Amino acid sequence: MQIEVRTRMSQIWRVGLLSTALLAAAPAHAFIAYVSNEKSNTVSVIDTDSWTVVKTIKVGQRPRGIDFTRDGKFVMVAVGDDDTIQVIDAKTQVIVDSLPSGPDPELFAQDAAGKILYVANENDNTVTVIDLEKRARLGDIQVGVEPEGMTISPDGKTLINTSETTNMAHFIDTATRQIVANVLVDARPRFAEFRHDASELWISSEIGGTISIIDPKKHEVIGKVTFEIPGLRKEAIQPVGIGMTKDDKTAFVALGPANRIAVVDTATRKVTKYLLVGQRVWHMAFTPDEKYLLTTNGVSNDVSVIDVAAQKVIKTIQVGELPWGIAIAP
Amino acid sequence: MTFRIAILAALALAATSGASHAADPRYPDWPCTQAKVPEVSLAAVWAGPPLDDIKDAWKSDAKVSSLVSKLAARKTPMDEAEKSVKEFLAGSAADKATNAKLLFAGLFETLNAQRSQVMNGLERTTRKQREAAEKIRDQTLELQALQSATPRDEARVEALSNELIWKTRIFEDRNKVVRFVCEVPTTIDQRLFALGRVIQQEME
Repeated sequence: MQIEVRTRMSQIWRVGLLSTALLAAAPAHAFIAYVSNEKSNTVSVIDTDSWTVVKTIKVGQRPRGIDFTRDGKFVMVAVGDDDTIQVIDAKTQVIVDSLPSGPDPELFAQDAAGKILYVANENDNTVTVIDLEKRARLGDIQVGVEPEGMTISPDGKTLINTSETTNMAHFIDTATRQIVANVLVDARPRFAEFRHDASELWISSEIGGTISIIDPKKHEVIGKVTFEIPGLRKEAIQPVGIGMTKDDKTAFVALGPANRIAVVDTATRKVTKYLLVGQRVWHMAFTPDEKYLLTTNGVSNDVSVIDVAAQKVIKTIQVGELPWGIAIAP
Repeated sequence: MTFRIAILAALALAATSGASHAADPRYPDWPCTQAKVPEVSLAAVWAGPPLDDIKDAWKSDAKVSSLVSKLAARKTPMDEAEKSVKEFLAGSAADKATNAKLLFAGLFETLNAQRSQVMNGLERTTRKQREAAEKIRDQTLELQALQSATPRDEARVEALSNELIWKTRIFEDRNKVVRFVCEVPTTIDQRLFALGRVIQQEME
């Protein structure tokens, strides 16, 4: 079903590109990436066959968090200054609906079934819970000041929300919607990511310049990843987005104005390589086959394509102004 | 008329008081909302081999230094600039690595100097604007005094009113230009990074 949608979408675009030659020569796996451009108020659509922007969609004010619904039919984009989440039909690439978030939604996470969406509202210190099928608001959870990072444990039982000002990761029981634990991390936690085997939770701290590794059962910090780049001041290294391979062996960490992605060995928790990508690298997404990792570079206004196996940047694609989030069709 | 001048003057003063509360206390004259980064560090834009051995060598290479001037000029479109880098390095054969280092060293120095110049200009303008605002403030008070004096010197009231309108307009126009120029350091950063990236790709 998902594959069907994807194939049909890419066909439409290829026809749009008037390139039958490309269609014949195209590799079997073409994916579609959606990039939110915070400053130009658009979403750029990238075809991973041609590595080009095939469409630019006008959206609301200040688009940041972006993701596909689990069935791949819709793309949700948080437009903070419009206090809502817009829903784009992936087939027609038209905005078809909006979701009732709180004020200034930034990031969101959905459960494994794709039925419930949890939205971090930066301005009123709450997480809004939304029923995705009915597109209705189910309630709010009071969290720390300026909620930012959002993720759900692989078993769906725990929602993690990081608070920018209180420097905490809140563990929320998704059944009772109550905070069950708070873990202190380094300054300005931005993003949270579980290992696929659920044994660790990684949280990036933009100001602290570290990744805190938390034992999600004991709610304790059990390790840290630190970064050092010769010639760069410490404050220029600001970890934000995190991407982990499915085998949990390698993590990629976006370092903001250090303009680099750190490649981290999850066993030793040490950086093995730094890849120069683009200016103010922020978030990232893997293609479903995990061959490529795409990063958003806010100041150079582009997206870098990393060959995951080779750990090498192979391409740069210009998008809109201040690219922030990225989602790739499942 | 007088009312309008009072408003304009108030606006002008509000604008300067805003500017004097700079976001970063280290740079009280910095007028931009964009953070002031005095210098681009080499490591932020370059992951290639060290450039320590280059120093000023790029200046004595006529081909490199003329290419640096062309690439550093914002009037040269980026597409064209990237093409020139590729052509230059493709034609360098055995000297490719050295030429790449020379070229980037030249761009790094030139564009950083360009940035400093723009940033110094912005700070100089802030200081001038502050002086202008003070003058407007003083003259507004002077005008008020003239207006309440008896007998009223109509000719002087009018002359001073006109002068104030004119000065306020210049003040506001300059503020608009400042907002526009505030984007320039970032534009230069982008150019330096993009050119550095092309050079590094060509070296691989």
